[in-house]
Amino acid sequence: MNWSHVKLIFHREVRDQLRDRRTMFTICILPLLLYPLMGMVMMQVAQFHREQHVTIGIVGYENWPDEFPLITEVKNDKIHWRKLPADGALVDSFDKSEMQPKSGMRDEPGTESSSVSSAPMVAEKLLRQMESDAIIWVPESFKDSIAQDSLVVLSNQRWERSQLAVQHLRERMNDWHANWLRNHLKATEVGATILDPPKVRQIDASDAETKRALVWSKILPFVMLVWALTGAFYPAIDLCAGEKERGTLETLLCSPARRKEIVWGKLLTVMCFSIGTALLNLASMHTTASIVMSQFAGLGAGDMVAAMGPLPLHSMGWLILLVIPISAMFSALALAVACLARSTKEGQYYLMPLLLVGMPLVMLPMIPGVVLSPGTSIIPVTGAVLMSRALMDGEYGHALLHLPTVFTVTVLCCLLAVRWAVRQFESESVMFRDVERASMKQWIRNVWRQREDTPTTNEAVLCGLLILVCLFFGRLSLGGMSLTWTSIVQSTIVIQLAMILAPALIMATILTRSVRKSLRLHRPDGIELAGAVLLAISLHPTYAAFAAMVGAEYKLGEQTIGMLMQFDSIIASTPIWSVLLVLALIPAICEELAFRGFLFAGLLRNGGHVRAILLSSILFGLSHGVLQQTITAATLGLLIGWIAYRTGGVVCSIAFHCIHNSLSMLLAAHSSRGSGVSHWLAWVLEQNDGRIAYTNSWCTLSVGVSIALIAWFATKKSFTVSLNLRETEPRRNSSESKLRFGKKAFLP
Amino acid sequence: MDLVQVQNLCKTYPDAVQGEFRALDNVSFVAKAGEVFGLLGPNGAGKTTALRILATILKPTSGTVRVFNFDVTCQADYVRHSIGFVSNNTAIYDRMSAWEMVEYFGRLYALPDDHLYPRMEKIFRRLQMDDFKECPGAKMSTGMKQKTSIARALIHDPPVLIFDEASLGLDVMVARALQSIVLDLRDQGKCIIYSTHIMREVERLCDRVAIVYRGKVVDSGSLEDLAERHKQNDFEEMFFQLLMLDDVGRAEKSPALGMPPLNGAIATAMGVSPQ
Repeated sequence: MNWSHVKLIFHREVRDQLRDRRTMFTICILPLLLYPLMGMVMMQVAQFHREQHVTIGIVGYENWPDEFPLITEVKNDKIHWRKLPADGALVDSFDKSEMQPKSGMRDEPGTESSSVSSAPMVAEKLLRQMESDAIIWVPESFKDSIAQDSLVVLSNQRWERSQLAVQHLRERMNDWHANWLRNHLKATEVGATILDPPKVRQIDASDAETKRALVWSKILPFVMLVWALTGAFYPAIDLCAGEKERGTLETLLCSPARRKEIVWGKLLTVMCFSIGTALLNLASMHTTASIVMSQFAGLGAGDMVAAMGPLPLHSMGWLILLVIPISAMFSALALAVACLARSTKEGQYYLMPLLLVGMPLVMLPMIPGVVLSPGTSIIPVTGAVLMSRALMDGEYGHALLHLPTVFTVTVLCCLLAVRWAVRQFESESVMFRDVERASMKQWIRNVWRQREDTPTTNEAVLCGLLILVCLFFGRLSLGGMSLTWTSIVQSTIVIQLAMILAPALIMATILTRSVRKSLRLHRPDGIELAGAVLLAISLHPTYAAFAAMVGAEYKLGEQTIGMLMQFDSIIASTPIWSVLLVLALIPAICEELAFRGFLFAGLLRNGGHVRAILLSSILFGLSHGVLQQTITAATLGLLIGWIAYRTGGVVCSIAFHCIHNSLSMLLAAHSSRGSGVSHWLAWVLEQNDGRIAYTNSWCTLSVGVSIALIAWFATKKSFTVSLNLRETEPRRNSSESKLRFGKKAFLP
Repeated sequence: MDLVQVQNLCKTYPDAVQGEFRALDNVSFVAKAGEVFGLLGPNGAGKTTALRILATILKPTSGTVRVFNFDVTCQADYVRHSIGFVSNNTAIYDRMSAWEMVEYFGRLYALPDDHLYPRMEKIFRRLQMDDFKECPGAKMSTGMKQKTSIARALIHDPPVLIFDEASLGLDVMVARALQSIVLDLRDQGKCIIYSTHIMREVERLCDRVAIVYRGKVVDSGSLEDLAERHKQNDFEEMFFQLLMLDDVGRAEKSPALGMPPLNGAIATAMGVSPQ
């Protein structure tokens, strides 16, 4: 790579962006203006609340007990009190009984204004006539029996002033009531001190600065990352789609700069603006907030200021360090996405989907209780944010522990994103995309005419997503069921057949020529089949240990554990053959045909076996609703995928899956039943705390057996694979050219 | 010397309607130093695709293309140094002046400063661009943009120049100026590939032409040869007949297509792709 080209392109692009008023406005001016403006509005609102005077009318103040007056003379009182006589002409003109809370709504004939019949309408009219924001009505009986619920407050919650008036009135009433209570208690034996809560002296281990850092560390990364993405996206659109639009891309592509160099030049530019925007926003928001808070400090909101005051400098440093890798990743993503767009206008449409993908990763760290752990550290972006938060809190040891994972994940994501961007630039169909000429009808006809023996990669991915969506809605609708054997059978069959198998089967029927090949149903080799069964048995102890480990890391909730116990007792009390049929065989067939069949066949194209194994296992994991299951299933999915790849068909993986599930069910059922271990299985199983588990000796032995079997699968030349090769060889050439078509057809 | 050699060039695009679209089908031609080679055809005939392959922007599906004796697929870097590409959309950066633009590309071609600036001044003087040196691209007229494009393509003094419908949208004055620039360059011994669908330009500029229609070379040779072969002195008439003949031949070969030959040619003549 020629770095002088990269430098030249970078310099040009940066200068170009700096000359662009629109980009500069969104990226530099807007953040500088936004927060001061927001701060100003906040101050205005605060001022409104502080200085707004409200008028509260009191009808029948003479009915208020004299010894404890409601209205006390306070300097700068926010409330203007208006005393209105209870028997005044104005009040008399309405039917007082309408106002009585206990009388409800009555429509008495003979009142002066019969049209005004309901209490709300009376209230509004009264408020307007008396020019008050709220009115409190004190009935004659109040003086005698204060405790009775007989006061009426009229207000109109549509008016902001009225809301404020009620708020003030409530505070005043509370003060008054406390006062009244205190005075009454004083006279009794009990005394007023009973009202005082026990005195607590609070000692906080953290100082104000750390607390402040904690508050900021929740808000600032979010704001910063959203802006890092926005700041990356606008220049990215201009740099890719804009250049296509102006026609300069062609010129640049035939210059000596190679595509990779062009991408790097552009990427560095986008990154520059992304980081710049994020930091500008950070600085602007932080400065504004500090100033606003210091204003509040003058008004006696000391606690809030202590919590939101300026962030210590070293914490800022960690934030700035965080923004660099995240900006790099977002920039590469934005660049790759922007490449798809033919025009800047089209590019704008892609911002939303990108935000939708990025947002959950940024939002996740804001959920209370989410901290840096082995689990969260492997999530891209989230891990990095949590890491920076730990560093801001001063938990250096904890952060250092997870540094390798977070660093690896972040670097890996960055590299993948950059590679994607470079690929986009190298792809002719992306860079010189024409307006699609096809109408919907022609496209569908073409998909039908062009269909092949096996699904395309895009069709496979679509199928996977379809299954996930189906499962999401399916689980929602099945969620409320009580846990009985019938409901388990029903939900399993509905989920497996309708949500998992059906999408794959329907797509295989419609979109491909051969359902059998699409589902990878090939004649298996007997020895391979036996090997898969053996591997499932020998690997089960390792899997059980792994599942226990995952369970220890991600604790199950009380409710889930209860459900699982109930589930175990249900399967223990059901004939074992039906349990195995419903929970082992059916899921094995349906899930394997979908994930290691249709999906796998599509993803396997173009030598994408790594892609096929990885993606199919991720989707397989996601199809299990619970997080713990997702992790274990995805990990196991990797192995099943590999077996499916090595054996060239789905039958061996079905066997593996079925045996695996059966073993899990048998163990659970036997544990729950509490029956002992029969003597001829004593070398494998033992009773441990009431549960049946594998013996240590078998665990050790099984690992050895598994390794041997895996090695056998890895070295063996599969019978089915060679069978498939013979089947597909003559067609290879034709299918390859159509493959590219498939790629295009899926583009938006 | 044959500076551009194209042999059995094929290019297919994936297409949502037909599954595969053959933009170029067995195209062959050669162009020599000191000549203007015209690539002639209606819109959508495949001219731009061919030129983009020559400029290493696209990769050929099959066939060999050599520019200045370098292969466009495996020696793309060398090919890029030996061509100058002027496209039809007068590609100019909006927020860059003419001077900056040419300077930028000069630097990309790694020209040393003491070579770059004298050359830039020479080119700017020759193309009469000194008046709008500092004018940003967004404020240039089409003529100014085209001149800047040409200056940019000439900066590294390439032996081969490619003009892809460069006269599109230019007024008479500027188009004439462009033609004289092209002839001037030819006289300097450059090999010029000039694609167009305007017959007057062909008659005025091109030494030899290839007529491209629907991705195929229908006929090629010098203007005199073509006139003699088809017994037609009016070049535009000859062009139209050739396309029509091709449509007829196509319809006879595959009657299933059911396209009336005349309509196809008329549609083509009107600049509408018959498909």
